[in-house]
Amino acid sequence: MRITPLRLREHPLVGTLCVNDTGRFFAASPMFVERLASDDLAVEDEQFLEREGHRVCVDDRFARLTHLYALSERVVQPATLDYLILVPTLRCNLSCSYCQVSRAGIRQKGFDWTEDTLSAVLRQLDKLPGNRIKIEFQGGEPTLRPDLIRAVIERCERFAERQFVICTNLQVLTDEILAIFDRPDVFISTSLDGSAQTHAQNRTADTATTDCFFANLKRVIERYPAGKVSALPTIDPESPPDIDALIDSYAALGLDSIFLRPINFQGFARKRHSGSREQGEAWRDYYESAVRRIIQRNWRDKSRILEETYFSICLRRIFHPGAERHVDLRNPNPMGIDYIVVDHDGAVYPTDEARMLARSGIVDLSIGDIATGWNSPARATLNRCSTNQFDPACQRCAYQPFCGRDVVDDIARYGRIDLPRTETEFCRRHLRIFDFIFELIYSDDSAVRYSLARWLRLPATPERFGVTHQ
Amino acid sequence: MIPLSLPAISDAERPFVARLRSLAAIDRGEHDALLIDEDEVGGSYAAADGLFAIDGVPVAQLDGDVVLVQPRSGRVERLLRAGSRHNTLLVTERCDQLCVMCSQPPKKTHVDRFDYFEQACLLAEPESLIGISGGEPTLYKERLLSMVERVLTDRPDVQFHILTNAQHFDDDDIHRLRQPLYRRVSWGIPLYASNASLHDEIVGKRGACLRLFESFAILLASAARVELRTVLLKSNANELPALAQFIFGKLRFIEVWSLMQLENTGFAKGRWRDLRYNHRSSFEPIAQALDLMNLNGVAAQLFNFPRCSVPPPYRQLAVASISDWKRKYAPACATCREQELCTGFFEWHPSNEAEAEVTPI
Repeated sequence: MRITPLRLREHPLVGTLCVNDTGRFFAASPMFVERLASDDLAVEDEQFLEREGHRVCVDDRFARLTHLYALSERVVQPATLDYLILVPTLRCNLSCSYCQVSRAGIRQKGFDWTEDTLSAVLRQLDKLPGNRIKIEFQGGEPTLRPDLIRAVIERCERFAERQFVICTNLQVLTDEILAIFDRPDVFISTSLDGSAQTHAQNRTADTATTDCFFANLKRVIERYPAGKVSALPTIDPESPPDIDALIDSYAALGLDSIFLRPINFQGFARKRHSGSREQGEAWRDYYESAVRRIIQRNWRDKSRILEETYFSICLRRIFHPGAERHVDLRNPNPMGIDYIVVDHDGAVYPTDEARMLARSGIVDLSIGDIATGWNSPARATLNRCSTNQFDPACQRCAYQPFCGRDVVDDIARYGRIDLPRTETEFCRRHLRIFDFIFELIYSDDSAVRYSLARWLRLPATPERFGVTHQ
Repeated sequence: MIPLSLPAISDAERPFVARLRSLAAIDRGEHDALLIDEDEVGGSYAAADGLFAIDGVPVAQLDGDVVLVQPRSGRVERLLRAGSRHNTLLVTERCDQLCVMCSQPPKKTHVDRFDYFEQACLLAEPESLIGISGGEPTLYKERLLSMVERVLTDRPDVQFHILTNAQHFDDDDIHRLRQPLYRRVSWGIPLYASNASLHDEIVGKRGACLRLFESFAILLASAARVELRTVLLKSNANELPALAQFIFGKLRFIEVWSLMQLENTGFAKGRWRDLRYNHRSSFEPIAQALDLMNLNGVAAQLFNFPRCSVPPPYRQLAVASISDWKRKYAPACATCREQELCTGFFEWHPSNEAEAEVTPI
């Protein structure tokens, strides 16, 4: 018996995109689609499908197993906890208009880890089986508690491979904080919304605070090697900054990776930016223009490669199955298994978004706490649905092998997870981005091919990225 | 060239395996041979199995080597050289294929030396990666696998890399190869073209390619680790893009694909002009194949390609593959900034060609 596990998607610029369930794809002419639909394939079609692995003879063990292997590459099941997001304090010295987590005031009491919470975190670290650890310190502003950061880092010496990311607003840089930053295994992640004016408008408000941030940002960028400091913009889709100004401010600071994120429908943002529930066409147009602008800049100035982070993640998921572990886009997307979030009160959440939902009083998605554990019925419930494999809409979608599932996002937006997939923002957003990526994959433009190759970390630029069959 | 076999005399009755210990104050193991006398070009050793004297190499260079002493032929073979990443045990010289470019042309007779090899492996330095080659090692599959299993059980720090034409795996092996200790074995398996008749022609055996695919299914079902190898030839160079497509489509489970430039020895020596593809004049089909592999996320590397002969974007893939004991550099290489990273040339590569080819980086 032969199977041809293809899903088809009409693409306005590429033709009919045919993707098999392992994620291999080709663009087909209307004539081929006609022949396929009427079961009237030519010998050349048969040979093409066979050669490209789109037709599998299931009685041939070699063909069957290699196909199954390729399928399995698309469903990597994480097993070991090696990534923790820690919130040692919820207090913050800024009050950003769209704060994601409903921060607490700088002098408020009861929003820091207690001694007991700290020792429970350290005990969990001691129990981890692997020799690899990644810890992200979130907040609030984690550098308000350098003592807690130090205690955690010092407890991780036994891990052969370790990485600590401190997510900070960089408003205060004391010698004590710099001493932590100086460690080669510590990385700095900050927010930079664009030009000083945009940044001030969204975050820092007055000139003194804004100047202080930019001075500190420059200071750490100059002090450390490239790659140590990264920044993320948060963008108000209703009034996004000028694209070139945004890219310029990143490029000028030597920051090559720009993660264009629209405001999330979480935390205080929910109250102040009610329009952020759906991203809308305007945002998507803005996003695509920004990626095209980056492509042009890379082509003009080959001395450096800029990239839009999420575009690169999606692109790599198409070509490199299993290589990407971005927790916002993966499948299945089990929660509370390989990474957890530990809040200021010791509560364990499956994701940072889940923490924000609880904090803004929408729904409590905590799955346990750091002292007593998180192998809970709540976690099991979330994980029953945390895959796109069995969703009827996804099963027919050409992009399923590359896409993911984010039940927390569904709950945040709609209060439920059983909407038809195609009616969710997650689906619309990813259909659009994958359509956009495939448009670029089949582009003849040398500048496009050049950037795609760099974003895929290829040594050279291939002649073509996608196969076409007439 | 580093000699792998040295003249020696011994009073022992039978061959035996020993580890050479030239330095004092080392805990002596059962199979350690202690240095008792030395001069500039050799030394005398005392082992439990007998006395022997090695000639031709200062003893300092032999310290820690695991050797096979052969009293009758008056030689010692350096089975595992201390500090080398290129130790390979040749377990048989028989083969059931007759590859057109074979660097080690097969012989009809087989001498079973598995017991010596097993002893040697047990004496290997910590964290050793030991190569096994032939001939075709799996012609003696039972002997081979039991040796490998015993060594891996006794020595949790040791790994094997076994070259095989994969013509002899069958369904009964799946259960065996699935054992966790086989995570420390990788199989180096040649595939010369995705076109079965071309592959068969190159290996000189009809049906070899189909049999190979059957074995791939078995190895895949066994979760075996595979390094796929392709020797670059005039006859398959232009087929490389098709081969790459086949590999990233159907052999995604391999750990890495190694494309190997030809070695001027064995059959290839006499057929050099007919077989050797000059990648300097046209790198195009190689580049296309590498692009396809890289794009589709299957690791690829170039063996036996001097770095200056590879276009810059692909240079990082050209690894120092030639074993230390048979590697040489051209005189012009002395000024090259990448010599440390470079594979150089085989000792037997025509010197005039090597000199003409080098363009130091």
